[in-house]
This record gives sequence, structure tokens and C-alpha cells, in this order.
Amino acid sequence: MGELRVENLSKSYQRKDGWNTIRTLRVFDNVSFAVREGEFVSIIGPSGCGKSTLLNLSAGLDPVTGGFVYVDGEQISGPGLDRGVVFQEFALFPWLTVIGNIEFGLKSKGIPAAERRKIAQRYTNLVGLSGFEKYHAYRLSGGMRQRVGIARALAIDPSVLLMDEPFGALDAQTRESMQKALADIWQTTKKTVLFITHDIREAVYLSDRVLVMNGRPANIALEIAINLARPRNRHDVEFQEYEQQLERAIAAPAS
Amino acid sequence: MSVSTPTEERPATRAVLEETRTGGALMAASGSLASTVVPIVAIMLLWEVAVRLSHVPPAILPPLSDIFAAIWDMAYTGTLWGDIAATLGRLVESAVTGMIIGTVIGVLMGYFRLWERALVSPMNFLLAIPGTALFPLSMIWFGLSDLAIVSILIYEVALTVMLNTWTGVKTVDLSLVRAGRAFGVSGFALFYRVLIPAALPSIITGYRQAFSRAWRILVVAEMLVSVSAGLGYRIYWAREYFNTDVVFGSLFVVGIVGLLIERVFLRTLEVMTVERWGVMRSLS
Repeated sequence: MGELRVENLSKSYQRKDGWNTIRTLRVFDNVSFAVREGEFVSIIGPSGCGKSTLLNLSAGLDPVTGGFVYVDGEQISGPGLDRGVVFQEFALFPWLTVIGNIEFGLKSKGIPAAERRKIAQRYTNLVGLSGFEKYHAYRLSGGMRQRVGIARALAIDPSVLLMDEPFGALDAQTRESMQKALADIWQTTKKTVLFITHDIREAVYLSDRVLVMNGRPANIALEIAINLARPRNRHDVEFQEYEQQLERAIAAPAS
Repeated sequence: MSVSTPTEERPATRAVLEETRTGGALMAASGSLASTVVPIVAIMLLWEVAVRLSHVPPAILPPLSDIFAAIWDMAYTGTLWGDIAATLGRLVESAVTGMIIGTVIGVLMGYFRLWERALVSPMNFLLAIPGTALFPLSMIWFGLSDLAIVSILIYEVALTVMLNTWTGVKTVDLSLVRAGRAFGVSGFALFYRVLIPAALPSIITGYRQAFSRAWRILVVAEMLVSVSAGLGYRIYWAREYFNTDVVFGSLFVVGIVGLLIERVFLRTLEVMTVERWGVMRSLS
């Protein structure tokens, strides 16, 4: 199981403008798309287009203005352990160790301590952090922190993995090695992934399908399936053709 | 099923550790001990010699040896232990009560806007009144009893802790709250699984401040409210009989006990919790 469906999703903010005017800021209107089971879908778009907002709504962390989000056919009404969220700013709990962070969601699930430790250990190994179990987050590098973030989200065995620009805060080299690590992890776990990024190469490297968000209020301007064999090579001609195609779509003003 | 290990990313601490090893732990420790002990011994010798040579009356400034004799005497007869126990008992009783009250109200103020709006102004007003100024009132209400002292201490501790907890919870990184919610924490659990641990650096700072304030007030309080035992009480009554050596002796004990609480107890608490997480802006 693991299907995410977004139907006619709208989000707008009310902002006070002067003393007697309330301005409604429409972020996006009537966005619909679906991520099939085991599929890796990226959403790219210029900054401020609302792609992170879209992920927050799917995570149930912000209230929707209109529309619905379904996970495996069930409408969501708030945050839930059927979705694992990976945050751009890592958001690791500084008072917990690596393994403590990974266990966090398992504890919410009410899994007994011994079992919890076993599962967390498995995911610590999966993200390549064995040996660092007892470290607190501040002693880890950015890339390692996000590995913890990914393990924490995977450990609860969610139907869908929601990733909000997870490598946006990392330097270029670390980002590439993390992309490779994520591609490997995804191959092993076969999770359904919704991935937010502003990095076109990253999207082409990782995704089965890329959605381009654009316009104001934003909508899905383009949808491209990436038909490339994995593991992918960033220097392939075909890879670069996809990149150029997406670049044009982002630059073009939405109709 | 392990994925490419992050060999390029190693914790930075390792290299640094190897460099500092060469100093020799024992040498460093004995060096710092000497730099603490030598000045103290020098001051003590100076005191003893100066007083003996200048013939100041012992009722004004007793020689150090008399003071130690007085402490020895108090320890031997047992009054010293009774006084320390009485003072510490009051401190612990009121600090624990005040910390619980202050933490609970502070967390509520930090998280709920309604609590914050209702309580910020009263809190700031009360913080402007020194706890010691309330003694006449507490003596009217509770008489010359332990409660007259303890109530003031609870008030002072609770306010200090409340202030620090409130600001601590208010400034908790919102992304941690979001992460907590995303990973299945809601309602009351949000407080003890996310908000309180995240705010613990400021909460513990509050505890430390509260303890040292309470300690100061407590010794004065024992002088004002005549109770049957306590370090402040001992200092005050020794003055009545011009036992200046006992006054000085008790003052030393106050200093030593206060230092032990601060350095040993509170500092350990801090190291065990906050510094291990690396979130502490080193405070002292």
C-alpha cells in the first residue's frame, strides 16, 4: 500500500493590509495529482510557488483552504504516522541521540522499547550510520543529520514518504552523495515518495515523474515522466535533454 | 542492505581530541588545583598573622584559628549539622514546590496565547517586588513560623522559574514542534516529549537562578523570622552574644554550602542534560 492522491487542493492566506482591508493571498488553486504506489514523484518550481506549502498540507501540518488529500484512499485530517516527513531544516531533536531520534515515531506508535531499538537499528544501518547511534545531532555533519531525518521518517514504515527540499541546506558535494544514497534507499525500500525541490538535476536524477508548479496562484504547469534506466548518469545526453525541457517549463510564465 | 557509508563526513571532534591529549590530564588537574588553593591559603595566612600582630579585639575580627575552632566546636556539639539540615530542608522543600509551580505555569504561558496574555503583566509586576519585601506580610499571615520563610521562597523560585520557562518554551524552534506533530505527538504528550525537553536549556538556567536567589533570601529570612535552627538564625543569635567567631564561622559554612549546591549539584545537572546535547551556550 502507498498511494497519495491530492484532489482540488487550494490554499490561501488572509493578510491584513492597512486598517480596513483584508487581502487574500491565493497560493494555489485546485491542484490535483496522484503518486502511485512505489512511485518517486518530484515537484519543482520557482521559490515561493507554494511547493513546500503543498507538502505541508499533505503532511497535515497546515490546514487546507479547500480540497482533499487521500492516503491509500483515506482522507487525511491532520498529521499521521501513515506519512513520514523529512524536513529541509532536518528538525532533529537535539536532546535525543541518533537512535533516539529514529525511535521517536516508533514510540508514538506504542511499540515496546526492545522492538523499537531493533527497528531503529535496522534503519540506522540502512542510511549508513551504524557506529553513530549514540551521537547527538550537533556532532554530525549536515549530510549525516539528514540521513537521520530520512531514517526517522522511514522507521515508522509510512505509506508515503514526504520530503521537503531535504538536501536544500547541504553543500553541492554532499548533496550529490545524498542523492545517490536516497536513490539506493528508495530502490531497497520501494517507498512511495513525494519529493519537493528547486533543483532540476536532482529531480531528474531521482524521479519517475516530475511535476512543474508555476504561476500565481500556482498550478501544475507540466508533467514529465523520466524514462531513464537507473542508476542514472547526470552526463547522459538524454538526462540533459530532460533538464533543458524542465528548465524551459519553469522559466515560461504559466498560461 | 547498507547504503554508501558517509566516509567523507566524520565528526570534527576526533582530530581535535588527539591534539589536546598531549598535555597530560594529571598535570593539568594539579595545575588548576594549585592556582585555586595557593591564593586561598595565602589570604588565610595573611588574615591570621595580621590579626594576631595588630591586636584587634576578637569581638571585631577574630583570628582565623578562633573561627575554625568555633566551627569545630559547632560540629562537635552537633549544632552545625542541625543548622545545615534545617536550612537545606527549607531550601529543598520550597525550591521543589516552586520549581514545579513555575515550570507548569511557564510552559502553559509559553504555549497558549491566552495564558500568556493573562499572566505576563502580573508576572512582570511581581518580579519588580523583591521577595524580601514581602516578609512583613508573610509574618502577619503565618506568624514566626517555617511557613513564613518557605512561602516567600516558593514565591521567589516560582516566579524566576516561570519567567525562564516561559521565554524558553516561546523560543522553541517551531520546526521541532512540527516534527513532533508529524511523528505522532499531539495534545499533552507534546509538552513532555517536545516542548519541555526543547526548552530545557532555559528551564535549567531558571532553576540555577532560582536556587541562588532562594539561597540568598533564605539566610536573611532565618534572621528575620526567629526559628529554632538554621544557619541564618545562628549568625543572628551569635551577634546578640558577641560571639563574632561563631558569626564568621557560620558565614563560612553558608559560603561553602552555597558553593557546593551551585558547583556540584546544579552544575552536574546542567552537564548531564543540556551540555551533552550541545545546545548550551556555555554559561559559566
